[in-house]
Amino acid sequence: MNDIAEEINIELIYVIVNHGFGSRIVKAAKRDGIKGSTIAYARGTAHKKFLDYLGLSDIRKEIVFLLADKETAFRAMEDLNRDFCFDKPNHGIAFTTSVCKVSGTKNIVCNKKSERGAESVMFNLITIIVDKGKGEEVVAAAEKSGSRGATILNARGSGIHETAKLFSMEIAPEKEIVLILSECGITDEIVNSISSSLKMNEPGNGIIYVQNVNTAYGVR
Amino acid sequence: MNLILSKLKEVVLSVLPITLIVVLLNFTLTPLETPYFIRFLIAAALIIIGLTVFLLGVDLGITPIGVDLGQSVAKSNRIWMVALAGILLGFFINIAEPDLHVLAGQVQSVTSALISKQLILIVVSVGIAVMLSLGLIRIVKYVPLNIMFTVLYAIIFFLAFFTTPEFLAISFDASGATTGALTTPFMLALALGVSRLKKDSKASEIDSFGLVGLASSGAIISVMVMSIISKPEGVAAAVATDEASTNSILLPFIQMLPTIAWEIALALMPIVIIFLISRKFSLKMSKKSFIKVLFGLIMTFTGLVIFLLGVNAGFMKVGNIVGFKFASMDSGLYVILAGFILGMVTIIAEPAVSILTHQIEDVTSGYVKRKVVMVFLALGVALAVALSIVRIVVPEIQLWHFLLPGYLLSIVMSFFTPKLFVGIAFDSGGVASGPMAATFILAFAQGAAEATESANVLIDGFGIIAMIAMTPLIALQILGFIFKIKSKKRG
Repeated sequence: MNDIAEEINIELIYVIVNHGFGSRIVKAAKRDGIKGSTIAYARGTAHKKFLDYLGLSDIRKEIVFLLADKETAFRAMEDLNRDFCFDKPNHGIAFTTSVCKVSGTKNIVCNKKSERGAESVMFNLITIIVDKGKGEEVVAAAEKSGSRGATILNARGSGIHETAKLFSMEIAPEKEIVLILSECGITDEIVNSISSSLKMNEPGNGIIYVQNVNTAYGVR
Repeated sequence: MNLILSKLKEVVLSVLPITLIVVLLNFTLTPLETPYFIRFLIAAALIIIGLTVFLLGVDLGITPIGVDLGQSVAKSNRIWMVALAGILLGFFINIAEPDLHVLAGQVQSVTSALISKQLILIVVSVGIAVMLSLGLIRIVKYVPLNIMFTVLYAIIFFLAFFTTPEFLAISFDASGATTGALTTPFMLALALGVSRLKKDSKASEIDSFGLVGLASSGAIISVMVMSIISKPEGVAAAVATDEASTNSILLPFIQMLPTIAWEIALALMPIVIIFLISRKFSLKMSKKSFIKVLFGLIMTFTGLVIFLLGVNAGFMKVGNIVGFKFASMDSGLYVILAGFILGMVTIIAEPAVSILTHQIEDVTSGYVKRKVVMVFLALGVALAVALSIVRIVVPEIQLWHFLLPGYLLSIVMSFFTPKLFVGIAFDSGGVASGPMAATFILAFAQGAAEATESANVLIDGFGIIAMIAMTPLIALQILGFIFKIKSKKRG
């Protein structure tokens, strides 16, 4: 477990853009030194009453997940904003959230754990990104150490170990994103269990990161 | 507005290539008479509008109905329910399919009414219904797709020994006729709905495809069986003569409207009835989403009528003329090359191709991109049309000279390609042979056959749909190989 990051020095960038732009965002982000990325499909609405009624307002979106250390993340954010003009309407949105633990990648190095409002945080959000089909394994491993539930999203993405080109187009292998909300006390256990059963220490087997959750409903 | 505009853009991009090529040909190699040319341009505009409305309507209406039905059937957790649903849906949807009516009419005239139209309709619909039912059971029971196809095509090859060459072509053409513009999206959605419930995400993805391919093989088998049992004496050479050509520009559009509208209304009817019945019993649906689906169905109807009007009244005749003129040139090479290019651009404008490629992209979360599938599909169909023209120009080559090795190759390949691509490939075989291929390409080939002295319009006219349904199997499995090699991890 030597590469588990233990300092809030890492940022998770979310970029939500119209369908088709995801791959371009990733390409731009790679220039800034962000190595891995995951893209999931989503739907958004445009708020036009008449079209909404007829169901013609659903717009296909892509959510891009990028993980990087703070410095790289902010540089990437600035560059992305310049290239894709998020300030203008209908150009998508981008935001970052902080991450308190990362495992499964050697590109992000951190040092010390910091206690940030330890009392107020009761839950952690554990996000695990693995190859398609392994989501069930992740859930099984998490349940063994006390997790009560999980949500799986379909996505595509690539790390430095697995990019391929088909003609001029990049192929990003299929992934699954598993979201688990856990009580702070058992977060470590769950992460360790997943990490060991899926051999996350070895390169190319997936990534785990943990975020603090400020409020949570419906989790017991 | 965004959604409509992006759909419109996509449709314009897919219809533009064929339009531009015909316009280019008009001013260079094969000038058309003015009324035909103007009619062609009007038709192109109609096709763009119709296809946009149709595709939006399918997304709102047909696909949700299919997915919901598939899910509620699978949730019943009873194998006989799945089997029964497959039989009922397959039968009623196909018996109303306009393409099947055309095929049945052809067979009736070819066999001098020895086999009646009604008999063909029922037999083929039953064949498809059985295959659809087996296909759904396969998804629930985890039977590998390539095993199913191996068994089915073994049966087809066995039956082919006893079938006359004319009927061989007709039966393979039947596989294309069954997968019309309405049935294909519905079957695709049905498979998606059933397989979506699977907990194992890999299996769920793989099993979203393949149902259309299975249904088409049902059609092939049923026509073959019918021809063996009834033993038609020979093939009468009566082929429907062309309708009287007018110089009026708008008349053909007006004349065809009622027939097309009636056909589509009839074809849509079973889906609407099934939807209304299932809403009463099982589907839980809010009023808002109910209205959405109804609106989607209306759009599907309007769009398809406009689209088919354009294709039938404008494109068909032009395809015929272009084929004739190219084949009249001194070298056979020109017409073969023209077939290749026209095949490539026609398939891009095929409605079901757009639906399938979108579904592939959605199910794989963008791992398999639409464009790559399109490119391979276009190349496959281009080759199919070119080879069909070769068959017309060189009388020694028979249809089975292409079909037998082609299908053998695709069956063998199905054991080595990733499972996902096996399903996609066999589905796209059915998808490629849609209304565009059945009108424009078929008319082109018949035009070419008319101009070639050694060719028989009837015998050489059949079999083109069969070729178009076969080559995508190989093309997309090759794509599967490439993906397999390229996505290997480099540790």
